[in-house]
Amino acid sequence: MRGGNIEGKVREEIDRGWLGPDRGCAYYPCHFEGQDCTFCYCPFYPCNDPELGEVLRSRRGGEIWNCTYCLFIHRTEVCRYVMSEIERMGIADPDDPRLAAILPRAKERFFRKGKALMVLGATSDAGKSVTVAAICRILHDRGFLVAPFKSQNMSLDSRVAPDGAEIAMIQVLQAQAAGLRNPDRHMNPILLKPRGDTVSQVIVEGEPFGEYDVRRYYEEFVPVHGEGIVRRNLEFLKERYDFVIMEGAGSPAEINIYDSDIANMKAARIADADCLLVVNTEWGGSFAYAVGTVGLIPAEDRRRIKGIVLNNVRGGTDGLREGAAELERLTGIPVIGIIPHADVRLPSEDSGSFRDAGGCAEDGEGRTVVAVVRFPRISHFSDCDPLAADGAAIRYVDRPEDLDGCDAVVIPGSQDPFGDLEWMRSTGIADRLAGLRGSVPVLGICGGYQMMGRSLVDRREQPDGGPKTAAGLGFFDCTTVWDDRERVVRQVRGDLPGVGPVSGYEVHAGRTETEEPPLFRLEFFSGSEPEGSKREEEMLFGTYLHGCLDKPAFRGYLMSFIADGRPPAGPVSGRDHAERVEEGIAALAAVFEAGFDLDRLLGILGAGE
Amino acid sequence: MRILFLGTASGAGKTTLAAMYCRHLARTGVDAVPFKASNLSTRSHRTADGGEIGIGQLIQARAAGAEPAADMNPVLLRPRGGGVVETVVRGVPADGPVGREALGDIVAAAYDRLAAAHEAVVCEGSGSPAELNLIDRDLANVGLLRMRPMPAVLVGDIERGGVFAAVYGTWLLMPADVRPLLKGFVINRFRGDPSILGDGIERIEELTGMPCLGVMPFTEVALPEEDSCRDAPDGTATDTAWTEELDRLLDAAAANGFDPGRIDAIARG
Ligand code: SF4
Repeated sequence: MRGGNIEGKVREEIDRGWLGPDRGCAYYPCHFEGQDCTFCYCPFYPCNDPELGEVLRSRRGGEIWNCTYCLFIHRTEVCRYVMSEIERMGIADPDDPRLAAILPRAKERFFRKGKALMVLGATSDAGKSVTVAAICRILHDRGFLVAPFKSQNMSLDSRVAPDGAEIAMIQVLQAQAAGLRNPDRHMNPILLKPRGDTVSQVIVEGEPFGEYDVRRYYEEFVPVHGEGIVRRNLEFLKERYDFVIMEGAGSPAEINIYDSDIANMKAARIADADCLLVVNTEWGGSFAYAVGTVGLIPAEDRRRIKGIVLNNVRGGTDGLREGAAELERLTGIPVIGIIPHADVRLPSEDSGSFRDAGGCAEDGEGRTVVAVVRFPRISHFSDCDPLAADGAAIRYVDRPEDLDGCDAVVIPGSQDPFGDLEWMRSTGIADRLAGLRGSVPVLGICGGYQMMGRSLVDRREQPDGGPKTAAGLGFFDCTTVWDDRERVVRQVRGDLPGVGPVSGYEVHAGRTETEEPPLFRLEFFSGSEPEGSKREEEMLFGTYLHGCLDKPAFRGYLMSFIADGRPPAGPVSGRDHAERVEEGIAALAAVFEAGFDLDRLLGILGAGE
Repeated sequence: MRILFLGTASGAGKTTLAAMYCRHLARTGVDAVPFKASNLSTRSHRTADGGEIGIGQLIQARAAGAEPAADMNPVLLRPRGGGVVETVVRGVPADGPVGREALGDIVAAAYDRLAAAHEAVVCEGSGSPAELNLIDRDLANVGLLRMRPMPAVLVGDIERGGVFAAVYGTWLLMPADVRPLLKGFVINRFRGDPSILGDGIERIEELTGMPCLGVMPFTEVALPEEDSCRDAPDGTATDTAWTEELDRLLDAAAANGFDPGRIDAIARG
């Protein structure tokens, strides 16, 4: 029930009248850029309408009405209508029984299920994710509410959404492109975190679900659970957004798994989505890939493909026009975009980012070289992006000799700390790191931090009964234990004392007890807590915070150790990495906007003027 | 014997596959030489007869146990920066642009000399043969097949996904006069249990009439690449290191059920 306090607030809102977006508010935008803030406190609470909010059951069994995902009440046209009705009917009291009746009328006028569009790729690395991000931004710029969606994402890089769900990094980025403040579990309902060549941990709607190998995944998970998960999350998003821009996975024409593939045409069917096919022209053969993909998709699904996008074109787009016309003739599908190679640095989940960073674009004259240990089960490798954006060369290292000449080392996150620790020993990287200790800064993040400690102990049920233990690198006097406690999945903020604020997110099952001084101080409602370990005299740093380098303070701190071997003298300022990402998204969208035949794109979406 | 390895994209693995096949022929006592009509390469190698060939043909020549020669790569395109590409004909940079027909004659003559002097010529195409905007100007793929018709094998890379589409689409886009020369396809860089591909392979065989000649297991290949700037051993690397690596690749492929004898039969046909 609505508390008296909220009632008072609603009365104030009614008195104040229509407000529009309140850009002066410190919390703006709490949902999406451009939102209408007239009803910060909803006059209809609790509406009990499952198309808008949902029932949340607390641990103690109580039920509350949860409005986290309701965007309807923040649409301008809805606010204006509700306000005008309140005025017309002369309602002044939030308890007026006539008030509740306005919501169904507003829904009748303005509630429409959104339309879905799916972006398919002829290959992985075709540029699907950036295309989705660009379309999200293009539509957002035109005032639409847009959600990204990828039914099933196999990724080594995840984020914690504000609703506490673990979802793929790239959907978070796309949500940002759509102007959304709160990416959520529905946008990537199935996340596959590879644990080996064929086994993955399956995360469903942000929570761990189980471990599956390829065969069991397709034979057991997909038929029993997969389709239902995709359906309910798509439905959820369509109820709340004008458009759901879906991303396919890999190629939709993997005819050996076609019927069990819930990431491509099956999802398009469930969403009744039109599709675009994106082809990367960089490696050549793009026409063959396009023609072959269209040709292998059965006719009843093929008719959904409404446009082809030739992506990542280098050296001028004119050379392709002739081929594009021929492609249209052969497939009967218009080429609606010829997109030049966009020289934009955005976090990427493709293995290609390793190639870019580790291969040729190396160690320019005088650049700071940050070596990142490239575990076989590396995770969250975009943690170091902010350093690269500052101009450092990132060198992914899988041989000890590649550590030579580096200015700092990052031991990153890992899907399998025990296995990757063993790998570091067998490759000789562990020995080389011990030799470097004290001469260059070493930062361990999450799994890397755990490995820097004295020991790792897994007390959870092991095949042989006893606990699994391993000696760590011994850089810190700390021990990490895995037991039956729930994993830690949360967004956090706090500061690096004396230097500046930090933020990040944690995703881990193990807990670390340390004798070392803490690195960060985190702020929670309940008070502040120390986090991480440091030994400044040896330039050793360890933390659970992914994304800890996004804000300038910790980056400046690390750079100060690289340059002078000591911490900075005072607070450090600089650019927040999020701003750079935002600029990257805008630049990317501009490249796509220029390369698309916009009328055709908006026509397919039914979003034309 | 003669055969042309075509790729569905650049980097599909045709250079390595052609080198493996050269090595296989050397192991079975066949006098073989490699050939690539034209090559866009930043890493070339001088031959004793004054030519200049790409690193790929150098590896293949060593694999075949043949002396590297100008004819193995008669036309070399060398990027000069700023979008300028220099044409090098049998080791001699041309003064200006060379006409397509003249280049065709150079290529055909080089190929003919190799074919006359050796038992087998193992040819490698360039990029994808199915670039709609280039097919008629293409020298190393469709161009070579038209001048010197020979059986061809299509190599598709599964690592990027979409390999069935790539093979099928490339086959579809081949001009009608050339398509019958495509005698089979190879799926490259596969991780895991190949039986999961079964239905897909059958479908492509049905649609194209080309048999699948093998599924190559994914493995890091320790051979220098045409345009790589990492780990750049120059032409001085020992012959044995390269041939040992190719032997290892052949053995790994054999363990996955690959039988190079099937390619022998095609190359003889
Ligand atoms: S779900 Fe939306 S309309 Fe319903 S009470 Fe919550 S905020 Fe108001």
